[in-house]
This record gives sequence, C-alpha cells and structure tokens, in this order.
Amino acid sequence: MKKRFAILLSLVMMVSIFTACSAKGPDRLVIAARGGSHVTAMEAVKEAFEKEHKVKVEIIGLEAADLKQKVSLDAKNKQGAYDLIMADDPWMPEFSEGGIFANLSKLGVEADDDFEESSIALGKNPYATGDLYALPFSGNVQLFFYNKQLLESHNYDVPKSWEEVLTIAKDLHADGASGYVIRGQQGNPIVSDFLPILWAYGGQVFDDAWKAQVNSEPAKQALNTYIQLLAVGSNYETTDIVSSVSEGRAAMALGWPSWFIKGEDASADYAPIPAKGTANAETAATGMIGNWMMGVTANAKNPELAAKFLTFITSSETQKKMVEHGGVPTRKSVYLDKELSAKYKHFPTQLEALQNSVARPRTPKWSRVEEALGSELSAAIAGTKSVEKALSDANQAIDQIMQ
Amino acid sequence: MHSKRRFQWIMLAPVLILLTGLTVFPIVYTIVNSFTDYYYLASEAKQYVGLSNYMKVVKDEVFQQAVWNTTRFMLLAVAIETIVGLAIAVLVESMKRGVKILRVSILIPSLLPPVTVALIWQMMLSNHNGIINHMLSWFGFDPFNFLMDIRIAFYAILFIDVWQWTPFAFLLIYAALQAVPKSQYEAAKVDGANSMSIFRHITVPNIMPALLFVILLRTIDTFRLFDKVNILTGGGPANSTTTITQYIYRQGVYNLQIGYGSAAAIVMAGLVLVFSVFYIKRSIGGAQDELRH
Repeated sequence: MKKRFAILLSLVMMVSIFTACSAKGPDRLVIAARGGSHVTAMEAVKEAFEKEHKVKVEIIGLEAADLKQKVSLDAKNKQGAYDLIMADDPWMPEFSEGGIFANLSKLGVEADDDFEESSIALGKNPYATGDLYALPFSGNVQLFFYNKQLLESHNYDVPKSWEEVLTIAKDLHADGASGYVIRGQQGNPIVSDFLPILWAYGGQVFDDAWKAQVNSEPAKQALNTYIQLLAVGSNYETTDIVSSVSEGRAAMALGWPSWFIKGEDASADYAPIPAKGTANAETAATGMIGNWMMGVTANAKNPELAAKFLTFITSSETQKKMVEHGGVPTRKSVYLDKELSAKYKHFPTQLEALQNSVARPRTPKWSRVEEALGSELSAAIAGTKSVEKALSDANQAIDQIMQ
Repeated sequence: MHSKRRFQWIMLAPVLILLTGLTVFPIVYTIVNSFTDYYYLASEAKQYVGLSNYMKVVKDEVFQQAVWNTTRFMLLAVAIETIVGLAIAVLVESMKRGVKILRVSILIPSLLPPVTVALIWQMMLSNHNGIINHMLSWFGFDPFNFLMDIRIAFYAILFIDVWQWTPFAFLLIYAALQAVPKSQYEAAKVDGANSMSIFRHITVPNIMPALLFVILLRTIDTFRLFDKVNILTGGGPANSTTTITQYIYRQGVYNLQIGYGSAAAIVMAGLVLVFSVFYIKRSIGGAQDELRH
C-alpha cells in the first residue's frame, strides 16, 4: 500500500513539474544592468512598456566587474540568458568585436541627431564611424568638484589650469585643510583620476599607430603634478572623497556627477575639469566621458522586442521621466528642456562637459592596458618607483599588451 | 564473486561520474588550455603556444609579487590564527562559567561570508566615517589611511583575516581539547608536573592531529585569499596586496585570457601542493599507521 502511494506521489510530482515547465507565461525580457541608480530609474518607467507589449521586463543589477564577467561568459551560449545588456563605454570595442552585441541597424534601431555626439560615438564600432551596436543610456562625464566656501575663504576662483589647482591646494594645506583628494586605488580608479590631468598637459596613452606614449614629457609633468597634489592632499576612496569635499575638510577633487549630485541638490560645487596644465598652455579636452551603454545581445531570445525596449528606454520622453529617479540623460533635448534645466542646475555644466569630453582609447585591450597603467601609477604615488621608472615600465607593459 | 564486484562498481558509479565531471575534467581542461592562447571572445580557434604562457607568468613581476604576498600572508595568517586559536581554546577550556555564551560569540565572525566581512571592514576603516579612525581620534591620533597606505594595507587585510578565521581554529582545537582524557592530567598532577609541563607533554601531543588539521585547512584557504583583497584594495597600493588568486581572476576571468589564466592557476596549484604535501603525507601516514594497529 505504502509502495503504491509512493509511486503515485512520484507520478503526481513529475506531472506537476512537467506542466510547470511547459506552461507558457507572458513574454519576458531580461536585462543585465549595472546595479544602483540605473536599475532604480528603469524600474520606475518600465511599466508603460510592459503594458503596451504585454511583456515582463526583468532587470538584474550587478556590480561592474561581475556584469562584465557574466555578460562575456554568456556570449558563447547559443541562446543567451540576457536580451539586453549594459556596458561601460571602454568595454565597447571588446564587446562589439567579440560578437556580444547585435548590430542595431539590422534590428531597425538608428542613431538620431538628438543624442549627444560624443555619447553616440561610443556605441559605434569602429569608434564614431562604424556600425551601431549600442545606444548611450547614462551620460556620465567627470567633473571638477570643489568646496566653494573653502576656496572663497582664501579668495580663489575656480582654477582653470592644474598649475592653479596645485597653488590653491598648497595654500589651503598650509592652513590645515586637505588641498586636493586623489582617488588612488590601484586599477580603474587611479587611471580614471589621472587621465584628465595627462590630457590637460597634452599627453596621450597612445599615438596614432597604437604605440604607448605614457613615458612622454607631458606624462611626466602630469604625474609629478599628481604626486605633488597628493603631498598636499589625501588619497581616498569614493565615499571619503565625497564626504571630505562636501564637508569642507578637503578642497578639490575629480568625480562623477552621481557621487555629489542627488536629484536637485549638489553637496559640492562643480565645474568642467581644468583644461590645461599651465596657465599659458593651450587648452585640451579633459572631461573623461564614462557613459553606460545599452545594446541587444547577439544571442537574445527575443531581439526584435529587445530592440523596441532599447528605443523606448533611450527615448527623450523616457529619459525625462528617468531623471526624476536618478537617471542621467544622453539626449540634448533633455538637457535643454527648460523645466528640467531650471530644476536640475547641473544640466548646463554637464552638457558642456559632455560636448568637450574625451573617450578613453578605443581598443579591445583597454581593460589590460588600464590594469598595467594603474599598477605603475600606484607604484609611483606609493613611492616604490620614481616617476620616470614607473612611466617607462608602464610604456613597456602597454606595448607588450598591444603586440 | 563477479556479481559482488559489479555491485561495488554500480555503487561507486555516481561518485566516479561526479568526480570525473567536477574535478578530473576541469583539471585536465585547465591543463590543456594553459598551453594555448585561448581568449574567450576570440573568433579564431585557440592555438597551441607550448610553454609560452608559463614563461610569461613566471617572468611577470606582478605574479612574482603576488606569490611573495600570498606566501607571506599564508605564513603569518596561519601562524597567528593557530596560536591565538589555541590560546583562546585553552582559556575557554579552563573557564567554569559563561563558556556557552563565549563559545557562540567567538564563532560569529567565521559565520559571515568573506564579502560581507570585507564590506563591513571597508566601512569601519574609512578615513572620515569609519569607527576605527573615530576611536583613534579620541586618543589624539590623526586618521590612518589603512587601505591606501603601502606600509599598512597588507597588515590591515591580515588583521581582518585573523579576526575572521581565528574562531575557526579555536573551534577545532577546542573540540580536540575536550577529547583529551582527564586521567592523564590527574596522573601528571599526582606526579607533581607544573602547568607548563602538562601543556607541553600532555595537551600538545594529544591535540597535535587537530593542530595539523587546522594548519592544513588554513594553509589551503589563505592561499586562495581573494574577496578581501579585491574589495578592499584591488591589489594595491603598488601591488603590495595582490594575491595569486586575484591575479588569476584579473587575467583569466576579468580580461578573459583563459589560456594565460589557466597557466597561472596550474602554477598556483603546484605551489599549494608544495606547501601542503607535508601535512597531507603526514595525515595519510598517520591514518595508515592507525589502520595497521
């Protein structure tokens, strides 16, 4: 009797499992996204799309390195786990050439003129001229943040060159404040923090033939300035950078807008990044662009629907709604919207910074280059290598990677 | 006889299949990949490159630094965790009251996932908002940049590992202490032995298998140190906290250089074997001796 009951129970369970597996629910779109405010903004607006297309949109928020790893590993599956993915803009060459993204033109998605040019250029491979693989989702660009009270107390205006930044930092340090805060953690943080200074001094990571140029004279000047800034300042991670500048314990730092600006309020004042090394030097574009892009995966289960969602989520109307939930626009019409720019005071500065921004070198090997450069920059600021030795070693390592 | 043998094989089959699928195949696959230029997103097929990956790994200054950091970390962490774990175990064993509460509360850090531990300590060690620097300021100290200072970062991570894993050492040693026959202590006392002699000649020999087991497990585990370093320092400053596992992760997983990462992983497996072969040999030898008796 017991045996019969057990067999019957097993059969019922098996039938239930098969029924559950074969039951066809509503269509589903899965998005692998960078966790945090991006997910919050998408969650807030997705309902309209879900209702119109009778689809469930599932957004998975991941930490940046985890996102890159998961998306890359999923790329070789015949049918992927994700229909849409977000990518940090330096990953674009690697992802486009590695076949992770579907060609958007073939899915009927076109870049329109309303997208800020520097942002839409990131979604094309080759950069700015090639086929379109992703649309700009979040228009991040680095800005120069400063504590206005601290600068005004010493009669300083917003510095226009890095020479001025150093002078102000030294003066404020003499009075007990931290003059400038660097973000010197090895890897992506220190490279993102240093490159705007390198560009301001006229330096570049590569020449036109992709030969490394980081042991150049401008690079040495930039790194010397960076080390001198550290000598009269501090080396913190993000949370401490924000709190120290906001609370007036430190005077200046570079940062991404979302660190200091929450909704309509900014905890520190901001300006475009100083565009020249010395007062008499020529100006250069220094605002590092750091857009988060979104594209349809090449192995998406439902590429047509995914393309429709991409069009929806990057449309002007949706971006205007997402701004209220921490979204960062990539369209000019959103930045220039009178109502929004009156409410969000940083929009004009951010648009100006985007228009004068610089993209990190567009090579599929950027992650490795960044790692090599970050390691040597870290050695230079820690004092284990001289500026010359660190930059020469970085140059050699980068050339080896690019071979 | 044949049917008995067949039955034995049938019973063993699930384990053998699992072992082959989850251990043997990955090891063989990693060894094979380590001789290729396998890049995960490459459109071309992987090419055989001989020992080139191994040569590059061994010559890479960052890898050499990672091996030195890992070895130094392992020796210090295992020694401190075992000695402190032993001291706490002896102390708790000698206590008459509050043992249960103390036993449970001591174990709490080792119950937390390493990522959680790293994030908690990241907050506590923060320059401006961290409780540690707040407490230090009460005593007139300036804030310490624990995770960005090349002189401190390594020891900060070592301290966190000791904080998390000493309770694990304590647990195993404490269990072994409780199994020591009380009659041996009583006999020693009757013979007039002092506390130090009792500890050296009775306690230590009795708990030696447990001590070796703790050392073996912690050696293997500290060699795999990853989460704390990746979250707290990213391997810096100036590679002073880079570990072999973090190096493998950066090369093989983040940069998708599977061939190169596999070569580094095989070198690491070799190093772990070198460090643990003594303990493994001793434990297997001990087990065989027991079987003979």
